[in-house]
Amino acid sequence: MIGHIFWMDSSEGENGDELLHVTYGTNAHDETQVDDSQICVVMVGLPARGKSLIAQKIVRYLKWLSINAKSFNVGSYRRADTPQPNAEFFNTGNTEGERMRRAAAEAAVSDMLKWFGEGGHVAILDATNSTKARRTWIKGQCDAKGYECLFVESRCDDPDLVLSNVLSVKTSSPDYVGQDPEDAVKDFMARIRNYEKVYQSIGDEEQVTFVKLINVGSQVVINAVQNYLQTRIIYFTMNLHITPRSIWLSRHGESQYNVEGKIGGDADLSVRGYAYAQALPELVAKSVGDAEITLWTSTMKRTIQTAHHLKYPKKQWKALDELDAGVCDGLTYEEIEEKYPVDFRARDDDKYNYRYHGGESYRDVVTRLEPIIMEMERGENIMVVTHQAVLRCIYAYFMNVPQDQSPWMEIPLHTVIKLTPRAYGTQEERFKADIPAVSTFRAKYASANMGAGSEEATENSGAPTEAPAQVDGVADAATTEAKDAIIASAVAANDVAKERGIEVNGDMLVTE
Amino acid sequence: MSESAIEEVADWHGFAMDYSIEDGAKNILRNRRQSNVNVDAIHDLPVDDSEMAPAQLYATESGRLFHSGKIAIVTVGLPARGKTHVTVALTRYLRWLGVKTRAFHLGDYRRAHLGPGKDVPHDYFHINASSEAVKLRQTILQKCRLDLYHFLDYEKGQVAIYDAVNPLAEGRRQLAKEFAKHDIQTIFIESYVNDDSIIEENVRSVKISSPDYAGWDADKAVAHYIKRINDKIPHFETITPAEKDLNYIKMINAGQRYEVNNCRFGYLPNRIVFYLMNLHIKSRKTYFARAGISGFDTTYKADAPLSEQGVAYSERLREALIKHREDEHSQFLSQGGNANEIRSLAIWTSTRVRTVQTAEPLQREGYAVREKTQLAQLNPGDSEKHTDEELRKIMPSHWEEHMLDPYHHRYPRGESYHDLAVRLEPIILELEREKQDLLIIAHESVLRVLYGYLMACSTVDIPALMFPRNEIVEIIPESYNNKSRRIKIPNTNAKGEYVP
Repeated sequence: MIGHIFWMDSSEGENGDELLHVTYGTNAHDETQVDDSQICVVMVGLPARGKSLIAQKIVRYLKWLSINAKSFNVGSYRRADTPQPNAEFFNTGNTEGERMRRAAAEAAVSDMLKWFGEGGHVAILDATNSTKARRTWIKGQCDAKGYECLFVESRCDDPDLVLSNVLSVKTSSPDYVGQDPEDAVKDFMARIRNYEKVYQSIGDEEQVTFVKLINVGSQVVINAVQNYLQTRIIYFTMNLHITPRSIWLSRHGESQYNVEGKIGGDADLSVRGYAYAQALPELVAKSVGDAEITLWTSTMKRTIQTAHHLKYPKKQWKALDELDAGVCDGLTYEEIEEKYPVDFRARDDDKYNYRYHGGESYRDVVTRLEPIIMEMERGENIMVVTHQAVLRCIYAYFMNVPQDQSPWMEIPLHTVIKLTPRAYGTQEERFKADIPAVSTFRAKYASANMGAGSEEATENSGAPTEAPAQVDGVADAATTEAKDAIIASAVAANDVAKERGIEVNGDMLVTE
Repeated sequence: MSESAIEEVADWHGFAMDYSIEDGAKNILRNRRQSNVNVDAIHDLPVDDSEMAPAQLYATESGRLFHSGKIAIVTVGLPARGKTHVTVALTRYLRWLGVKTRAFHLGDYRRAHLGPGKDVPHDYFHINASSEAVKLRQTILQKCRLDLYHFLDYEKGQVAIYDAVNPLAEGRRQLAKEFAKHDIQTIFIESYVNDDSIIEENVRSVKISSPDYAGWDADKAVAHYIKRINDKIPHFETITPAEKDLNYIKMINAGQRYEVNNCRFGYLPNRIVFYLMNLHIKSRKTYFARAGISGFDTTYKADAPLSEQGVAYSERLREALIKHREDEHSQFLSQGGNANEIRSLAIWTSTRVRTVQTAEPLQREGYAVREKTQLAQLNPGDSEKHTDEELRKIMPSHWEEHMLDPYHHRYPRGESYHDLAVRLEPIILELEREKQDLLIIAHESVLRVLYGYLMACSTVDIPALMFPRNEIVEIIPESYNNKSRRIKIPNTNAKGEYVP
């Protein structure tokens, strides 16, 4: 009944990492390049304060906006020599541990400076950086090269919040893979206590640019901001939170236009689309349970009709309306290919940047979705019922999909995608309704009017199709198994990457 | 100097009042001038019109955006801390984003109630004020509040900015409670300064330029003004962490630091912090100038260099601007101005060759030039190289749409003014950040949109704004509203060609 899959997004320790960095290395389209300055964002805070989460999100957000950004995780450098240290390693009295941790920090900073030299724009130094001495050293390194430092301190005085963060995140750390979870938590709490002995919050006498996020942004202190890009990063971090939540995404049910193969328009649902709308409450309830969620739709009929039977508070957003196909609105792909052959090909050549005559490009959609993304970061459980292109952009943000791939992703009809942000990446599950629908997916350079590569006419009858790594069966078992397998393979992939001298970021939870 | 004259100067924003004081606060609000592109329309009413929202991303039935309900922004701070400046700037920015915002300056209501030339009782702001003073205070407050509620409840208003001193913690608590009863969320914005030099500079630059202080020694005038404020409002409690139940943003020493408390309830509060981080209270000028004309190939794609005429124009532009600034500076100094207060000039161009070359003569004078990709002109798309008549024939439906709504219409493959405004939003924040005087050399389409922001032009006005090449447009900021004027470039016609 329910196809259930579970994997991590592509930036998280998969081999795709290399590709990602190449993809984002240049900024051919510079519209969002906001400043000439190069900024080192230095994370500060005790372990289990959400630093890696913030670091990873800053990178993802900036990349989504076409700003070249990269995180440098000191923990991953340390792990090369000391893959699974115990708390004693982090004791201030442990000179050998101290030496190795310092060496890891030096290696990370050195690689970061090299990356800046190659044109990097915003680097995140993801580590505890918990002493004034360490921060002064980092600032000295950056000042010497003319890179700006922005310190981002995450402070949390709420012991429950810290413990829940420890439980939910740290026990799946590579540092503790294969260990008894209870022992892992105990050891990790001991590690935190070791850090607490030396931790110094950023003081005014340091005279640095900083933002302090206290108790997940309920208080924020911002000091001596230097330029626009810094304000933009601070603004973004202010909208983040670490409350566990999920985001459910669905396209509208199959519409009349889908059946007729037309794009755009504001058509009603088809009979099968209405069936999906009716099936949706049960499908969603399975995944949502008793959680409170808010439902967002676009202002178009097909999303409002799809959400009709869902009994959650609803909001309509104009910004969630489908990509405007301009003169092609209401045409089939065949008609577009026939009437605008040059455009049809030009769009395939660079789908992200191609703007329909009188309409929009994917880049335009990303621009107008920026407030939506900000609001999704700020919010908690949210279900979004919207359109193919818009969902691709939102999905690309959460799953870190590069711009040359995001417009080509397949987001099938009659399927609910559940995304759960975690410190080490975003988890995805898909729930497929057993209601057939046409596929609206068209492969790159596929001709619109017939077979090869075209799926316009094929029916998507509820059987597993192109979705990768689909795992059927009992959801929970599949989840746990898949998760373990993924963590293991991610760790293995990191080791391989390390040997090949490739940066691996994002999945590294524990930093120093 | 008469007492009432001092009141005008000493008041919350006793300067730059270009409308007449009439009877009754409501009349004042209703009878203000309507938009004229040469006048800053930031206080124009009504504002329940999408034409006042150049960079609005989307529209809603209720008129409220970003998932937010009704919000009151309440300023806190003594005079000369930049409250009115923050109020007007936020109004400008939020409206630009499409949020229906109106500023309610309590000082307007006070003056309107008292009538011309009358001052409030000496104990008006005191804690132990006489019963008459308290009654007067309440009457004036009531009028302002009623207008504020009316705006939020019946005029599709979303954000009301209530510009007053709000000096006491207890008063602020009561105010938030009262607004909450009306289903309005309250954000306090305090402008707090403990660096005397900032207060003195602010008083010097905006408060004592009034004719009332003409002939005064500058230092004495500043001291006099500050003493008057302190006597008039002896009790002031800055917001402390003890007021942790309030939603507040405390700005310290003009942007050096921000303390934000409990502002996690919607898109707008953090967006406001974002904007405030880029705002400063220094008053500086913005100049707009066109790039010179290029050679024969004027297409967007060609990105051609300046022609000989264009190069000559760039020299005349340099000469005219430098002469204008030097004249102003010598006048400023002759009136006893401090040479340290003279600002330098920053120059922004787009990355288009013509704009960069137009800045070269100024660059040779030693001024720093920054190229900004976002300042690229409106992409004309397929409408390029066609005259209006041709467009009418080639794409009649587009031509017609364009005639009907030139701001939002987009030619195939091109950008609309609306697209351009959305694209320029980061520039707006950087524009607010800049502390030097700023010359922007760009295409007319870009100048139109930026001018539209600074002068609160409607989307009807923006596509029709004129920036001939024989003028430099100067925007002079004042706390209450901006002013614009045009500086002639001699021996130049509107096309930028030499005329003897």
